[in-house]
Amino acid sequence: MSTTTTDRPATRAGRTAVPERGRVATLGVLLRQRLRRDRWQLLIWILCIAFLALFSAASIDQTYGSATGREELIRLAIANPTVLVLRGLPQGTGLAAVTFFEIYTFLALLAGLMNTFLAVRHSRAEEESGRAELVGSTPAARLTPTVATVIHGVLADIVLALATALGFMASGLPAYGSLVAGAAVGGAGIAFLAVGLLLAQVMSTSRGANGYASAVVVLAWVLRGIGDAIGTVTGSGTTMVSGWPTWLSPIGWGEQFSPYVRNDWTPLLLQLGFAIVLIAAVFGLQAVRDSGAGIVPERAGRRDALPMLNGPLGLAWRLQWPTVLGWTIGGLLTGVLAGALGSVVSSSIANDPSLGNIRDAVAHLGAGGSGPMTALFLSAIMSIVGVLAAACAVQTVIRLRQEEVGGSAEVMMATPVSRVRWLLDFVLVGLIAIVLVLLAAALAAGVSATAAGEKASAFNDAFAAAAAQFPVALVYLGVLTLVFVVLPSWTVPVGWAALGAGAFIGIFGALIKLPDWLRHFSPFADAPVVVGKVDWTGGYWMFGIAVVALAAAAALIRRRDFAIG
Amino acid sequence: MTTVIEASGLEKRFGRVRALDGLDLTVTEGEVHGFLGPNGAGKSTTIRVLLGLARSNGGTARVFGSDPWRDAVALHRRIAYVPGDVSLWPNLSGGEAIDLLARLRGGTADKAAYAERKKRLIEVFQLDPTKKGRAYSKGNRQKVALVAAFATPADLYILDEPTSGLDPLMEATFNAEIARISRDGATVLLSSHILSEVEQLCDRVSIIREGKTVESGTLDELRHLTRTEISFAADGMTDEQLARIPDAHDLRTDNGRVKFTADSDGLPPVLAALADLNVKSLTVAPPSLEELFLRHYGDELAGVAELEAEAKGR
Repeated sequence: MSTTTTDRPATRAGRTAVPERGRVATLGVLLRQRLRRDRWQLLIWILCIAFLALFSAASIDQTYGSATGREELIRLAIANPTVLVLRGLPQGTGLAAVTFFEIYTFLALLAGLMNTFLAVRHSRAEEESGRAELVGSTPAARLTPTVATVIHGVLADIVLALATALGFMASGLPAYGSLVAGAAVGGAGIAFLAVGLLLAQVMSTSRGANGYASAVVVLAWVLRGIGDAIGTVTGSGTTMVSGWPTWLSPIGWGEQFSPYVRNDWTPLLLQLGFAIVLIAAVFGLQAVRDSGAGIVPERAGRRDALPMLNGPLGLAWRLQWPTVLGWTIGGLLTGVLAGALGSVVSSSIANDPSLGNIRDAVAHLGAGGSGPMTALFLSAIMSIVGVLAAACAVQTVIRLRQEEVGGSAEVMMATPVSRVRWLLDFVLVGLIAIVLVLLAAALAAGVSATAAGEKASAFNDAFAAAAAQFPVALVYLGVLTLVFVVLPSWTVPVGWAALGAGAFIGIFGALIKLPDWLRHFSPFADAPVVVGKVDWTGGYWMFGIAVVALAAAAALIRRRDFAIG
Repeated sequence: MTTVIEASGLEKRFGRVRALDGLDLTVTEGEVHGFLGPNGAGKSTTIRVLLGLARSNGGTARVFGSDPWRDAVALHRRIAYVPGDVSLWPNLSGGEAIDLLARLRGGTADKAAYAERKKRLIEVFQLDPTKKGRAYSKGNRQKVALVAAFATPADLYILDEPTSGLDPLMEATFNAEIARISRDGATVLLSSHILSEVEQLCDRVSIIREGKTVESGTLDELRHLTRTEISFAADGMTDEQLARIPDAHDLRTDNGRVKFTADSDGLPPVLAALADLNVKSLTVAPPSLEELFLRHYGDELAGVAELEAEAKGR
């Protein structure tokens, strides 16, 4: 010991003399930094997914407690492939198996998004901000930060798997099967962690990497939906084998675990093998590319601006249109499903008294009401479109905040543009976005419903159901704009939290039997009733609240300082 | 002379921090006014108040005779601004950002003339306008903001440390542009901590410290407050000989050279005495802003030196 210390004049020089120990030490530091930075964010993701597992298991127990009810549900689903797209792969009528059938693909979808965001946050986003360069200049080897991200993500997925398993167990499902179900969620998460890391290597911006990675997750969900829909029925008529597209998707592999029934661990090897191959590619790419560079080079921009880019409105549209397009496509697809599913559901269950449970469940989605099944179902699905429209509006207001914090609002405010105009132009883009998402959904629902054999009045039902969501999305736009003006730094957390809580309470509130007073905190539960006894009271109120909030925001924006950029 | 900017007793608090603490600033029409101070002295805060981006907690500010907070929009028609830390829209190209800002300021009414100005400026600043905002380096973001500011004529240019990311060649281009707009009669407020730049460009200077103005005037006026540095070869000069130099401050002998400072407006008797002594290899360094600056911030530097000495002693 003493001889080595005399050889080293300073501790700083000493570190280069022991590279192996240095690498392990830096890995530990980087891993701790990641765990610390993400602790709240990951906690919220994992708790949400675990609680969704818990609540859905409990609600299915309540709604389909009897074996005959569950059998009806599964037979209905198998008879109508669109239901399979939205749910999963039927594995018999046991309570636990039905729960997994109903909720697994959503849990895996959420796990996928959690992982791709995590991967990009610690790789491409770090490079983009220049922090990766700072870390890369320390004794941390070039690949060490990526190794730390992989370990961090895998740890998060193990915790996620255990939390999900606990959620299922807490609702009374068998322990071993719940562990298998948890592993199916965590395994999909690890597969998507690798997807996120790979796209972070390929794309040169974190926005691009996040966008493509999210698209891959949704695509994986859709692929398995198609595969499940074209699957073949076996045995007693309540079990299915997936079609080939399911085998192209990490979420599809998760379904093959068949928890509570076959409890098969082998698909985990597929998920992990897929992740290992992708991560090997990640290290290969990272070893050959420069820090900060992407594999896909960034396209050059325009030399001159288009004539439309001539003010805050043009700018807001230019900045937001890709987002608006994305949510509008989401609305369109949901509309197609709603229309196709609506006619199926109504013809199957509307007049069958033994399916009262299912009718009740549909009637309690969103604002509810009583009347023809098709219209009721359309209005229920439209509350999901309402969530999409509100999300698009929330993102527009969040963009205002990003403009302010990023400093580009300062450049804008130093020109002869009044603050009020700047604010209202962004709000106008939010309004346009809401209308586009709702219109796309209504049109698609009408077309797909008539194509499925419904009367032309389905168009009226679809447009009425979409119109009912307009004041809901508007109240998010208005109130969040006021938050941005009065409490700027709260904009982002309040925006997403209010949307998440509102959507959850509005859509699942009745299913999980939340008390009425709590439900009415969600704008989605107060949406106008357009089926049966029409009641627009909630709509008028929300419309009024939104207008007052916007007027207050416009009045108060003149009074506040702008953030120091 | 018309006053373009008139601020007196300006105060701005952020929580308990007093960013501005009774700041005065007067800029008259047609002058290039240097606004000097170290980081954190309150330069950017003053500029944000003058632009109506922040509201002062006390004192008055007038730009072209109007209240910058109330009449922000009308004033901004006459002002071009380059922020200290330029942020661009990440997915807009530099060319798009320049066009957007020019259109907002109404500079594109004559399309051909604007296109001509933009083309020339992009050339002299050697800017690639097709890159996306996020891909630019700090210096290039600054160039985008400078091109946008110079491409539309303004009555008042407010430039917050505009050259901090530019290389020396670009600084020369920048200086030429300032000379051009100044010839056209525009008023310029140039905040900086680069003294040579201010000495080269500015007619008048205000020096601020901790949110207060500590010195203001033309460079000549300020030079009177400073001392000239004089040195010559020691060559066996005796102390008795040196004592004959009148009003010599800080006299010392260093590496074979005698050095001292003298009041800048009392040089003739000093020079006469030096001639009598028949000194060799005489150098007379003109007073620089640097010296003035150091005089106002000298105690801070001394504090830093003490800290350093302490750290070494440990």
